[in-house]
Amino acid sequence: MRCEAQPRSEARRTDVYVERAPEAATKQIAKRESPKVKGKSIVGMNLIETIDLKKTYSTGKNIETPALRGISLSIADKDFVVLAGPSGSGKSTLLHLMGALDTATQGAILFEGRDITNIDIHKLTTLRLHKIGFVFQAYNLISTLTALENVEYTMLLQGINRRTRRKKSIDTLQRVGLDDLIHRFPQEMSGGQQQRVAVARAIAAEPRVVMADEPTANLDSKTAESLLELMQELNMEKGITFIFSTHDPMIMNKAKRLIHLKDGKITPAA
Amino acid sequence: MMTFLKIAWRNITRSKRRSCITISAVGFGVGALIFIWGFVEGAHRQMIENYTSLLTSDIQIHQKGFHQSQKLETHLLNPETLLVALEKNAQIKANAPRIKAVGLVSSSESSSGVMILGVDPEKESSVSTLHRRIKTGAFLDMERDSGIILGATLAKNLNVSIDDKIVLMSQALDGSIASGAFIIQGLLDTGTEEIDKGLALITLRAAQELFVMPRAISEIAIRLNPAAESRTTARKLKDILPQNSDLEILPWQEVSPSFQQWIEFDNGFIWIIVFVVMIVVAIGILNTVLMGVLERTREFGILLALGTKRQEIITMVAWESFFLGTIGSLMGLLLGLALNTYFGKTGIDLTAFTKALNSFYIDSVIYPSLNVTHSAVSVMLVLTTSIVVSIYPAFHAANLKPVEAIRSL
Ligand SMILES: Nc1ncnc2c1ncn2[C@@H]1O[C@H](COP(=O)(O)OP(=O)(O)OP(=O)(O)O)[C@@H](O)[C@H]1O
Ligand SMILES: [Mg+2]
Repeated sequence: MRCEAQPRSEARRTDVYVERAPEAATKQIAKRESPKVKGKSIVGMNLIETIDLKKTYSTGKNIETPALRGISLSIADKDFVVLAGPSGSGKSTLLHLMGALDTATQGAILFEGRDITNIDIHKLTTLRLHKIGFVFQAYNLISTLTALENVEYTMLLQGINRRTRRKKSIDTLQRVGLDDLIHRFPQEMSGGQQQRVAVARAIAAEPRVVMADEPTANLDSKTAESLLELMQELNMEKGITFIFSTHDPMIMNKAKRLIHLKDGKITPAA
Repeated sequence: MMTFLKIAWRNITRSKRRSCITISAVGFGVGALIFIWGFVEGAHRQMIENYTSLLTSDIQIHQKGFHQSQKLETHLLNPETLLVALEKNAQIKANAPRIKAVGLVSSSESSSGVMILGVDPEKESSVSTLHRRIKTGAFLDMERDSGIILGATLAKNLNVSIDDKIVLMSQALDGSIASGAFIIQGLLDTGTEEIDKGLALITLRAAQELFVMPRAISEIAIRLNPAAESRTTARKLKDILPQNSDLEILPWQEVSPSFQQWIEFDNGFIWIIVFVVMIVVAIGILNTVLMGVLERTREFGILLALGTKRQEIITMVAWESFFLGTIGSLMGLLLGLALNTYFGKTGIDLTAFTKALNSFYIDSVIYPSLNVTHSAVSVMLVLTTSIVVSIYPAFHAANLKPVEAIRSL
């Protein structure tokens, strides 16, 4: 009796703590949800691990589109990973699952060694807020907020005080070379500048990983290259893990690690 | 919090055209509501004023039971102390003693049942407007107790006119037959059928003599100062008047409950208008906010992806409606107050419609009244509507799946 009661009350205590401390939140998530894959997780080595991950979209009556057909991979901390593959191969789907934006049909995902496969939407939201930065293909920014306010937004949700978040945002915008444009609204900036703001927003709060889904697809090759170099530098400087999806061979060349997808499966490099 | 406010506010300022249309719709709704409410209330006030000033007066005081029985036996004997007390009351503008009885009026050709009212000509003129409704002839005067005023229709039915002689018959207080001859001194044309067809006015002294009740009266009619409310004042008088336990002190609402009910029934229609305005406002705001939300599906996807909580999204959308509702209703409030202030001074001329309205105690010019409570209620209702209506778009936005929202563009 006593043995059972103890962990439960502890769990409750950490639950209260979830609101404030992301670390505790994710720890909690793992403790509760991971029994079936516990043995397989190698805590501390990999940032993200997927185990036979499957995702099937149901469209219309009885039409099922398998987008991922069993992906098992591990992504190491501080890595710079590129997901490549033809259109429809499942790159976005995989990024969304690893980024806690969507839930898998089958298999498991471990984030920092903890199973996040079946956790509820609120905990996924908290996880994203504190651990994951996102850069999408285009129109990443909140159109009613300035560059600075966009970058501040994540930290605001995190409850970081005004002065700190302002300073960090300005520093980060400087770092991505946009010191002059911090008070511009998204529609007053070029596509490349907007993507830089998005990168700044993704990294300013110092997440564990940034997921970027074709971040350069709408940019010319020169702008794309400089954006990529920026991310490479941030990866080195701050040790933030980056995971990209792309069609662009130039980007594939910069990868520390290249993962090829085809028809929802990992294939050896072509 | 501030950031959600900021996002909500900027969404409003960004789609200016749509926001303006919504704000105007809300403003127009609130403005119209306040105006119509003020107009109806103004009309009601006028009707009440016209109705009570004609004959009923604001408050009637009788010996207990008179209103029910209308019998001469139930009278106020030696009312002097009572009258003095009334004179002293600051709420009371004027009072007039009356004798009220039913009887028969006969000309050489025919006869008809009437309500006989004995009045003090001078005092009566300060509580009722009967003296201003004399079509031909003149009102009663103190010097001529043989004079009588008849309703114009009544005179026509009896086929008599000014200076003709008629006979009044009734039962006196002591049970004997009361009968007296009078000379028609004036004809009354009020537009109110029951008066024109069935009222005979004689002097109080003549009535006291006719009914053999020299020191008694049936009723004291009271006119209040404009600021005093009839029901409240009646209640207060109950406490302060001498011999109060023997008195019945009735505000006009109790003297003429059917008229009061009619006014209340008419007030009920206001709520139909309120309801319609609320629906218009609801549709306007729902349209704007929902369109704004649908347009920004991808942006909500991004917000959710970044870790924005569902309730934070709901707050954001609700703020948007709240802003639209607030600005709109404040503008409507100004519009309504401006209209009612302006027309409250100049009046609204309804000459074109007055024929139909004549019998409702309505004048051809109506003065809308300004009512703070009604204005506040209008604003609150519309504001509440605007927030309630945002629930749907807010939950729609909050329930978006981030992945699907981001894919949609
Ligand atoms: N919401 C959805 N509903 C139904 N099917 C979907 C949905 N999203 C993706 N798919 C399908 O899943 C498969 C993988 O799509 P995904 O977007 O992950 O590919 P991708 O590699 O990112 O392609 P692209 O390079 O064109 O962006 C495709 O066959 C796609 O049609
Ligand atoms: Mg894709």
